[in-house]
Amino acid sequence: MSSVPTKTRSAAKKSFLALAAIAFSLNVAKAESRTVETAFGPVTIEGQPERVVTLYEGALDTTLAVGSSAVGAVITRGGSDVADYIQPQAADVAIVGAPAETNIEAVIAARPDLILAAPRTSKQQYQLLSRVAPVVVSDVPMFQPDSWKQETQLFARALGQEEAGEAVIEQVESRIAEVRQLVEATIPEDRRDATLVRWMPQGPLVMADGLFSASILQAAGFEVTDNNLVKDGRPHSEPLSLENLARMDQSWVVLATLNEDGEKALESARKSPAFERLNAVRNEQVISVSGQLWTSASGPLAALAILDDIETAVQNIQP
Amino acid sequence: MVPNRAVASRASFPSRLLMTWLVAGFLLSLVVMASLLCGAGPVSPGDAFAALLGNGPDNAHFVVTELRGPRTMIGLVTGLALGLAGALLQSMTRNPLAEPGLLGVSAGSGFAVALAILFGASNATLTTFVAQLGALAGCALVIAATRVQGLGNDPVRLILAGATLSGLLLALTSMLMLMDQRAADEIRFWITGSIAGKPLTLLSSTLPAIAVGLLIIAMVARPLAAMALGEKAAVGLGHHPGRIRFLITLSVALLVGSATALAGPLIFVGLVVPFIARAFAGPDIRKTLWLCLPIGPAVVLGADVLSRLIAAPSELPLGVVTALIGAPALLAIVRAGRMPSL
Repeated sequence: MSSVPTKTRSAAKKSFLALAAIAFSLNVAKAESRTVETAFGPVTIEGQPERVVTLYEGALDTTLAVGSSAVGAVITRGGSDVADYIQPQAADVAIVGAPAETNIEAVIAARPDLILAAPRTSKQQYQLLSRVAPVVVSDVPMFQPDSWKQETQLFARALGQEEAGEAVIEQVESRIAEVRQLVEATIPEDRRDATLVRWMPQGPLVMADGLFSASILQAAGFEVTDNNLVKDGRPHSEPLSLENLARMDQSWVVLATLNEDGEKALESARKSPAFERLNAVRNEQVISVSGQLWTSASGPLAALAILDDIETAVQNIQP
Repeated sequence: MVPNRAVASRASFPSRLLMTWLVAGFLLSLVVMASLLCGAGPVSPGDAFAALLGNGPDNAHFVVTELRGPRTMIGLVTGLALGLAGALLQSMTRNPLAEPGLLGVSAGSGFAVALAILFGASNATLTTFVAQLGALAGCALVIAATRVQGLGNDPVRLILAGATLSGLLLALTSMLMLMDQRAADEIRFWITGSIAGKPLTLLSSTLPAIAVGLLIIAMVARPLAAMALGEKAAVGLGHHPGRIRFLITLSVALLVGSATALAGPLIFVGLVVPFIARAFAGPDIRKTLWLCLPIGPAVVLGADVLSRLIAAPSELPLGVVTALIGAPALLAIVRAGRMPSL
């Protein structure tokens, strides 16, 4: 059983610095006027945006990953600030609301020259925001294994950082390959099935296997499944009765929690006799992780942090 | 069921009431069986029955003894407490609509628990105590509201005052949830009301309070019935209305606080249960209280069985089901040509 410390993500930090260096060197080539395809049609952006406001976790992540900076961002769902994993890079970003409720006055006050908005931005909201600055709403189909890649490319292009975008995708992919190798070397092939849940006293919330973190987990060699419990069209999660826990009993259970302390969440879940009966719990194959990172975040930096979590957990298997 | 022969001496327990009580008790035992045999999971009623008799598959045994058993016990106690509290509150305010949930007693209790969760409480005993304290504050506000000129005599206006109080407390609870998203997560699941997955230790931490509540009922049932004749008559019979009111308030707070600590704020239970009981028992509060004993648990457990079956493989929160059943009942009571007067 392992809990991944949220503070010591030195690998992610190092890779971020490396990326920033790449991005900076690429920055020299001044970006020209370009048009990006968005959910509300093509949007033309001039020059290098300097005051970027991001209204969605994945957009902030990508912006920082390609070496740009953001002047405003929304909090990560499930917290009261941006998620811990991205705190070091986003320390001086102003908070302009929550993903579901943007404070439009705060957005205006940030004087943005580019707004990266959430995939589900309404037309009304879009029109309002468009009067402040060019708005990019991703038209990438969500909950596909490579959604994050396409989204990274889109945002990187909007930011005038296409090369840096490609570089960071490549970096994530090589890191995926690295972790995958470790997973395949450590865990036998028929023991790699996993399910991602959040634990509530009344029963777990089973997270969709199309979720960003699930797709990273899958890419890293695990077989992620929600056992068809999460219906199509309800792409996030589904509560499950305690009586039906057998339906989520995979070899591995990834236990996401909104509390800082993964051990504490695990402890409270362990108070439930039904949880104790899970095979994954009996075999000590529960990975407790940060819910902000694993169930709210997306983007290349999140991918790297998630991969760090997976690597730590798998390394802990060996005595 | 309760050691309070004082409530019902042989004279006040006529054979007709005994029959009704037995029928209600029989229905309750059916609901208890249903609660043990039915669930959202793959364990069939047949397997569950076998498990009850000590055989059957291991999984069925686990589900019945570790999941459905505790849940059934918690449902029994919650229903008992809410049914009695409703009957007491209605009798004391002489208002057939005075229900802990509608009047804001549950909301007061819920707000107090939300506050405790925000400050990091997780200890079961603390939550129980806090819930009772909140219920007491809610009760005090209700009493204050009935003292406002004219409000106490008009059932619907008292309910409006209660709705205002509930609205205010819910808004405050929402504010707490906005302040801390992590606590919000816990509060959100607690506030809809559920008896699934609650540990039996929670039950043992509320039982003393419920026992005290029942003891108070045993003490005040007779004077309360006298008060139904009018305060002057009660004074003439040697009772002290002020003291009785205080004791009942205390009892309601203990019962509602315990029920809220167990299941979260469940509204309408305290309305529906005494309403059914009165329909069979007539206006005598002592008979009504006796009938509430089997009917309260039956209503809560029945709603809980529904909550498991409607949305399988997940479950609806119990609070949603009781609201779905209770709201039409409230409308029916209000719209009934003649409001039953107490």
